[in-house]
Amino acid sequence: MNIQDNYQKNRKNIFFSENKDIESHREKLINIFENDSFDRKNNESLKNINLKNFIDFKYKYLIPEETSVINNNQENNYSIVSVNGKCSTFKDDKIEITKILDEDYNDFSENNTIEKNDHFVNLNSLFLNSGFKIVIKRNNNIRIKISNIVTDDDLTIFQKNNIICQEGSSLSLIEEYENKNNSTSNILNVIKLEKNSQLNHFLIQDNSSNHNLIITSHSSCKKDSTYTQKVYNFSEGYVRNFHYSELIETNSEADLQGIFFLKDNNTSNNKTFVKHLAEDCKSNQVYKGILNDRAKATYFSNTHVDQVAQKTEGYQLSKGILLSDNASYFSKPELKIYADDVKCSHGSTIGPIDENAIFYLRSRGMSKIAATKILISSFINEELSSIDNEQMSEIIQKKLVRYLSKVK
Amino acid sequence: MNSETLNTLDSYSKNKYKYGFVTEIDAEKPKKGLNEDTIKFISQKKNEPGWMLDWRLKAFSKWKKMKEPKWANLSFPEIDYQDIYYYSAPKGFEKKPKDLSEVDPKLIETYNKLGIPLEEQKVLAGVAVDVVFDSVSVATTYKGELEKLGIIFCSIGEAIQKHPDLIKKYLGSVIPPGDHSFSALNSAVFTDGSFVYIPEGVHCPMELSTYFRINAENTGQFERTLIIADKGSYVSYLEGCTAPKRDDNQLHAANVELIALEDAEIKYSTVQNWYPGDEEGKGGIYNFVTKRGLCAGKNSKISWTQVETGSAITWKYPSCILKGDNSIGEFYSVAITNNFQQADTGTKMTHIGKNTKSKIISKGISLGKSQNTYRGEVSFLRKADKARNYTQCDSLLVGNQCGAHTVPYIDSKNNTAVIEHEASTSKINEDQLYYCRQRGLSHEEAVSLIVNGFCKQVLQELPMEFAVEAQKLVSISLEGSVG
Repeated sequence: MNIQDNYQKNRKNIFFSENKDIESHREKLINIFENDSFDRKNNESLKNINLKNFIDFKYKYLIPEETSVINNNQENNYSIVSVNGKCSTFKDDKIEITKILDEDYNDFSENNTIEKNDHFVNLNSLFLNSGFKIVIKRNNNIRIKISNIVTDDDLTIFQKNNIICQEGSSLSLIEEYENKNNSTSNILNVIKLEKNSQLNHFLIQDNSSNHNLIITSHSSCKKDSTYTQKVYNFSEGYVRNFHYSELIETNSEADLQGIFFLKDNNTSNNKTFVKHLAEDCKSNQVYKGILNDRAKATYFSNTHVDQVAQKTEGYQLSKGILLSDNASYFSKPELKIYADDVKCSHGSTIGPIDENAIFYLRSRGMSKIAATKILISSFINEELSSIDNEQMSEIIQKKLVRYLSKVK
Repeated sequence: MNSETLNTLDSYSKNKYKYGFVTEIDAEKPKKGLNEDTIKFISQKKNEPGWMLDWRLKAFSKWKKMKEPKWANLSFPEIDYQDIYYYSAPKGFEKKPKDLSEVDPKLIETYNKLGIPLEEQKVLAGVAVDVVFDSVSVATTYKGELEKLGIIFCSIGEAIQKHPDLIKKYLGSVIPPGDHSFSALNSAVFTDGSFVYIPEGVHCPMELSTYFRINAENTGQFERTLIIADKGSYVSYLEGCTAPKRDDNQLHAANVELIALEDAEIKYSTVQNWYPGDEEGKGGIYNFVTKRGLCAGKNSKISWTQVETGSAITWKYPSCILKGDNSIGEFYSVAITNNFQQADTGTKMTHIGKNTKSKIISKGISLGKSQNTYRGEVSFLRKADKARNYTQCDSLLVGNQCGAHTVPYIDSKNNTAVIEHEASTSKINEDQLYYCRQRGLSHEEAVSLIVNGFCKQVLQELPMEFAVEAQKLVSISLEGSVG
């Protein structure tokens, strides 16, 4: 079904369809799709995927019957179950969860850092049907775990979440995506860190092979704030992780890390983009990938340093291991620098597992498979051992063992 | 940055382009603009056979349907292809002079001003010079000696007349006319350039060299160079350019094709110092160059070395297609941009054969208000077993109004191939500067020394004949704005 029909037919349960400004913006978006006027050739968001499958979709959304749970089981610990992208409202003296409002609609479309030619973001803006807003109140130290659950097959979820960390607050946020049904989640996250706040954001992705997950996030950091993001992708279905980060005031930091484990015919597209807009900021972008069978992955990273952003430190690292002849990996680590007093670097490697290391282990009596597995674990050990959250680290270890068991 | 630095920066950035002069020679031109008549005019003037004209016209019809490639990080006003002269030959040059005494003394004078007098060049250690002044080869020296070895070194126009078989076989085989709009344009209107053929097993005894010079106003130069190294041969080719000062932008869209057969090696070195425009960014050459080498045979090697200091816009990606097993591609580059210059340069290494190796060393230095981009692609295709790549691209920023960008594309489809890429961007190390100054060097001497050290890895790859000139060029480019 084409975009126009899909939209007109389902207007009722799409957010903000009453708002005239938003309507007119959406009409423009529909036009872009209808005229097919976008640049397909040089489009990072389209590499390795067939956009047609995502445009000619059947819109289906169910408002969840079961209400999502917010459980304050221990002090400062919250556990949220978001069902089909929705979450009930909640309020106490530390956090507040509300619906998203009309004024949040333009966060993405009006931001210059975000790639304008991104159709998944456009689709999300068009069909927005779920999402929520979390505010962490001043000077609180909170841990939240969100389980994202999709209830039925063939659902198309277009979700938008806002996370705001107020001054001096600290949040450890774990998001789990583990869905076994045949549906598509297209999620935008808008994250705002106020002065001196901190956010440790973990994303664990482990969907079955017919579940598509598209996550696009944008974070902005004010003075002395730190945003850390760690993505672990074990999914068997298509996953897209595009993360943009802006350092808008001095002494802020962004650390975007990710590891993906791919096998079979799986595809994953990844992108990180850090824009330095103030002095004395630091950024780090590290992605590692292990690709088996016929898996394909892309990783685009970009450090943009504005003219005013002196004393910047920006590092990028991209590493890929190809375990099979048919796997392919594409990486494009970009630096765009307009200030002179900076330290920026990037490194990128792609290759097989080191033969000498395998030889060393085999000469000590290990089988080839065992040696390969040990070397894969050591490849990502640095990232895994740096997780300071025990619960997280346990979950990830288990998934890693599962992935390794299928390596031959 | 201290005030002294700013002062030197300021005083040097005002340095005028040393080679800005114009030789007044009546140039014979067709009408402005690009159409089939222009192409027929060029073909007729050069007395070309019919198949060549057909080839040109075919390329032209492709060009008409194409748009300029847009990937580069460059901004410039749209090029009006109809406002350019496509052929300019100094009068009386349709009949070529037999030796230097027949050459117009004014031309000789021009070279003298540039510091590359032909007389001296002849004496210089074994360099045979095929000088291109505007679009017609002016004089060719050392031809006899090369002929003895069976080496063909002549203008491409001459090669079309005398060696049509080689031209038909190889012209456009590495850069197809329909590759992109600049290659199509060049294929349609190229006027001159060099042709080199090294026969089997011959080690070319001297460095072959061509000096290009753009002279007549509004004349785009469309060089076409074709170098073929037959089995087991070796050749080193030098290309260098300086252009006189003009206010109108001049378009330069050259195509260079290299073909290395089994066990052959080609070394191609460039020093480019076209007029970069004045300190307000007015004028300067638009340099859109397509250079591509094909390692067709086993164990072949192609090595590109470039020092890019000139041109208002540089758009240049000397690349290697590593088709033969065990073949090697190398790329060494220094790009210096100043004032309002924009450079988007890099390379493309395509690994097709087994055990192919490539190495990329790129050094970018940005000064003033310039933008310097490294853009390189390394790809391993499915059958490139055990292929290896190492890439290093470093950028140096001088002043806080310039930009340095690195855009690598890395694509691996083979699980035995290893690719390594590293890049860094920084300003001149304060500690090194302090150390040098402590030992009595002036500020700009110190910076010049450090920058020369920064470029050393690339400059040492240049042949002797060029190394001196290149080092001078680096100093001249820096002289202005070291800080």
